Amino acid sequence: MKAADFLYHRAGSVAEAVTLLDEYAGEARLLAGGQSLMPMLNMRLWRLGALIDVNQVPGLDGIEAEGEGDLEETRIGALTRYVSLERSEVVASRLPLLAEMVRHIGDRQVRNRGTLGGSLVQGDPTAEMPLGCLVLGARVRVESGRGSREIAMGEFYDGSYAAALEFDEMVTEIRFPRHPSHFAFSELTRRHGDFCVLSVAVTGECDSDGCWHDLRIGLGGVSDMPVPAEAASARLSGTRLTDDDIREAAALTVEDIDPPSDMRATAEYRTHLVPVHVRRALQQLRARASATELLTRTRENR
Amino acid sequence: MTLNENEITLTLNGESVRAWAPSRMHAADFLRQRLGRTGTHVGCEQGVCGMCTVMVDGQAVKSCLMLAAQLDGAEVRTVESLAEENGDLNALQQAFKRHHGLQCGFCTPGFLMLATSLAARGEPMSREQIRDEISGVLCRCTGYEGIVRAVEEYLQLQQNEGQVVEVEA
Ligand SMILES: Cc1cc2nc3c(=O)[nH]c(=O)nc-3n(C[C@H](O)[C@H](O)[C@H](O)COP(=O)(O)OP(=O)(O)OC[C@H]3O[C@@H](n4cnc5c(N)ncnc54)[C@H](O)[C@@H]3O)c2cc1C
Ligand code: FES
Ligand code: FES
Repeated sequence: MKAADFLYHRAGSVAEAVTLLDEYAGEARLLAGGQSLMPMLNMRLWRLGALIDVNQVPGLDGIEAEGEGDLEETRIGALTRYVSLERSEVVASRLPLLAEMVRHIGDRQVRNRGTLGGSLVQGDPTAEMPLGCLVLGARVRVESGRGSREIAMGEFYDGSYAAALEFDEMVTEIRFPRHPSHFAFSELTRRHGDFCVLSVAVTGECDSDGCWHDLRIGLGGVSDMPVPAEAASARLSGTRLTDDDIREAAALTVEDIDPPSDMRATAEYRTHLVPVHVRRALQQLRARASATELLTRTRENR
Repeated sequence: MTLNENEITLTLNGESVRAWAPSRMHAADFLRQRLGRTGTHVGCEQGVCGMCTVMVDGQAVKSCLMLAAQLDGAEVRTVESLAEENGDLNALQQAFKRHHGLQCGFCTPGFLMLATSLAARGEPMSREQIRDEISGVLCRCTGYEGIVRAVEEYLQLQQNEGQVVEVEA
């Protein structure tokens, strides 16, 4: 199908884009990668007064490493495309979880166009980037004619496909604190590159004596938005992630979910799958940490 | 420029062209209907089938998910750019023919442009990687085996040629 009629603006700056958003008073949307917006318009699931193309706005993309040590931050511009995240050395070394997750999105053409900011605002409950940003404790910077503010990823959604933005607000960048030492990711898709049935991202720190702390477990596709599994994370704090710890913690994750039934899976099936995938992700986390540990020790002995 | 009718100047297959298009027209329709380049096919118009894949500024994109207006100032390559001037098929097209990489041919322009963009990256790729990289174009006829073999052969050929050029340089 073809999109219904709308007006097209090409914004030259953030100021111009947010002024237009304000003028259209909710009847306009920003056009970033178009990988969600264009299908919705073409299928006439949505009619808009105007599209404001931000692809030509200078300075909206880019990946920058800032600060060192505990003050380390990584800044990613809202218009940064998935393909840039895939190929960035800064992302590979400073945000490896995000680098791993981005490869699970769609296909080559989708990743050549789709943007980090677009994915966060789209707010698909099964999307990879919102989950990754939640688990990594990212903050979203938002601008409007009224000023700017920062929203923590944990507060970025009011519901499914509903970012907590006012109509005149635009996301300009996403800021990440220092990445945890260890991480793992597990997702189930029905077809290669499809939106997932569910996904699990975990991170944590492991002491030299093998005790884990600061565990974060995030679940995608099993609620209106990506959710932290807090009871499970708390259960694992101070443990050595033994098989028993993992099994018990995984069982607790069902407390934090409210899974939908849709064409990909029933709520019942998703509820069955969550502990299974949490277990797998935690086992992977443990295995990766001991591999790193082994590598460090071998290097030291040399 | 009015807001629902846009003047678009682009480089299409090396040639500068100018045309008008309504705002709501997507780039695939624009290439076919306004510029007469019907080699680019249209399937789903929702970003799923990959039939409309072309290269914009060197990158493979689904042209049904771009607006015609977004091609203003862009460098666009479509399947019409591949064959030699005398009509001979280029090496990629020949590889598709040799390996039975097409039957009805509806998906072929999409695969050819995606493969062209892969080759432009100049990286060696395993079969697994190739399968992953081409997963954004669907084929309902061939079962993909011939397509993968053709792309693999072409990438190797490009790699070898790249090396020859490097040695000469
Ligand atoms: C075939 C296919 C497969 C896909 N598979 C996956 C998948 O597996 N996983 C996944 O996560 N996604 C998938 N996607 C969706 C894709 O990730 C989209 O790119 C993403 O959801 C939206 O990003 P975009 O830059 O394309 O945004 P657009 O489509 O341009 O915009 C999406 C929404 O965000 C708003 N917006 C965009 N940028 C801003 C901004 N800076 N500030 C405020 N509002 C903004 C727009 O107005 C619009 O409402 C797929 C898409 C396709 C077509
Ligand atoms: S027609 Fe563009 S992806 Fe199907
Ligand atoms: S050859 Fe018919 S769809 Fe691919």
